[in-house]
Amino acid sequence: MIRIRGLRKTFPPNTVALDGVDLDVSPGEFVMVIGQSGAGKSTLLRCLNRLIEPSAGEVSLNGTRVTGATPEGLRAVRRQMGMIFQQFNLVRRASVMENVLAGRLGHVPGVPSLFGRFPRRDRELAMASLRLVGMEDFAERRADRLSGGEQQRVAIARALAQEPKVILADEPTASLDPRLTESIMGILQRINRERGLTLIVSQHMLETALSYGTRIVGLRQGRVAFDGPPSGITPEVVQAIYEGSGS
Amino acid sequence: MWRLAVGVVVLIVYGWFLAATEVSLARFVRGIPWMADFLRRMFPPDLTVLASAAVGALQTLQIAVVGTTVAALLALPLGFLSARNVTSGPVFYPARALLNFFRSIDTMVYALFFVAAVGLGPFPGVLAVVTYTTMTLAKLYSEAIEGIEPGPVDAIAATGAGRLQVLRFGILPQVVPLFASYVLYRLETNIRAATILGFVGAGGIGFYIQTYLRMINYPAAAAVLLVLVAMIMAVDFTSSRLRARIV
Repeated sequence: MIRIRGLRKTFPPNTVALDGVDLDVSPGEFVMVIGQSGAGKSTLLRCLNRLIEPSAGEVSLNGTRVTGATPEGLRAVRRQMGMIFQQFNLVRRASVMENVLAGRLGHVPGVPSLFGRFPRRDRELAMASLRLVGMEDFAERRADRLSGGEQQRVAIARALAQEPKVILADEPTASLDPRLTESIMGILQRINRERGLTLIVSQHMLETALSYGTRIVGLRQGRVAFDGPPSGITPEVVQAIYEGSGS
Repeated sequence: MWRLAVGVVVLIVYGWFLAATEVSLARFVRGIPWMADFLRRMFPPDLTVLASAAVGALQTLQIAVVGTTVAALLALPLGFLSARNVTSGPVFYPARALLNFFRSIDTMVYALFFVAAVGLGPFPGVLAVVTYTTMTLAKLYSEAIEGIEPGPVDAIAATGAGRLQVLRFGILPQVVPLFASYVLYRLETNIRAATILGFVGAGGIGFYIQTYLRMINYPAAAAVLLVLVAMIMAVDFTSSRLRARIV
C-alpha cells in the first residue's frame, strides 16, 4: 500500500539523511524502523507525508503519488496518514477535545471549522477516539495540564480521529518512561490488530521494537541495512545496524 | 590595549555629550527655589475644575481605547505578513521595512500631522494613536508568531488541514493570549501618550493642563494633574490584573 522508491534527502549544505531508500509496506503491517540517532528514521517518516520535502525519489500511497502531488492532492493523502510525534505536539492552550477535533480538519467543511464549528458526527468520532485511548474523562481539560503519557494518548486519539489507513509514529515513546512506553506501544498494537491499521513506527529501543513489530527495518546512514521479521534479527545484524557508523 | 582605546573614546564622546547638553549641577541647584515656588503655588489645588478635568480625562481614555482597538485589528494582517516563519522573503522584507520606518516616528509627530490634515479635536488624536500603535503591535505580533512552537503546527498540517485551518488551529491558539497581553500593555502606554495629545490640539486632558499652565492658574492645573494620575493608576491596575489572568 505504501511504495517508496529511491527516496533521498539531503540537508544543506551536504548532510545526506536518506541515501536511496526502497520499501514496500503492505496493509496491516506493524513496521518498526530502527537505527542509531542520525540514521534517518525521523527523516524517512516525515518524508512519507512530506512534512519534509524529499530531495529525490518517489512515495505513493495505494497508487496515489505523494511526491509531486498538488497541494490539494497532498492534503487528500495526508488525511489518510495519521501522525504521532515524540514531543506529542498538542496545542497546549487548547482543550483535549479541540486537539482531537483537529484530526477531523481534513474532512470537515472548511469555513465553519475556522469558527470552531464541527458537524455532530465528527464530534462523536472525536469522542469515540478518546474513549479508545481511555481519555474520554479529560475531554474538557487543557492539554498542558496533562502528563506526558496522557498527552501522547490524546495525540493518538487525534491521529485516529482522522480515520486514517496508516499511522506514522516518530519515536512515540522516546520522551516517556518504560512503564508508559509499554502502555503507548500496547495501544498502538491494539489499533494494529483490532482495526487492521498499518503502522510505521520509529523506535530507538531495540527490545521494544522487537517485541511489538511484525517487521523490522534497520536504517544505517540513510540506507536500509536490514528488512525482515523480528526473528531475523541476529547479533550480527544488530552490529551491522548499530556499530561503526560514526555517531 | 584595544579595550583601553575604546574606553578612552567612549569617555571622550560622553564628556562631549555632557558639555553639548549644558549639564550643570550648579544651575540645577540654583533652580531649586523656583521649583519649590512652582509647587507651592499649586497648593491648594482648585477642586472647582474637577468636573471639566474629568471630562478631559474621559476623552483621553476614549481616544486611547478607540485608537488601540482599531490598531489591534489593523496590526493582525501586518503582523502575519512580517513574520519570517509565515511569509516568504519577497513579502517579509518590505513588510518589516515598512513597520520599522513608521514605528520610528512618535505618536506626537503623527498628531501634529493629523491636526493639520483633519483639524482640531479628538479625531486627529485617534488617528495618531492608530498609526503608531498599529506599527508597534504588528512588530510585537510578528515576534510572537516567530516564537511559536513548530511541533503543533506540523501536527495540524499532517492531518491534511488547509493553510487557513493550520493558521487557526496550529498558530492562533499559541499567539492569541500574547496578542491580548500586548494590546493591554499598549493601551496603558497610549493613555499616557494621549494625555499630551491635547498640547497640539488633538483632544483630551492635555488641553486643560496646557491651558491652565498658560493662564498661570497653577491650582487648577494641579487639580487636573490629580485627576490624570488617578485615571492612569486605575487603568494600569485593571490592565495588569487582566494581563496576569491571560498569560
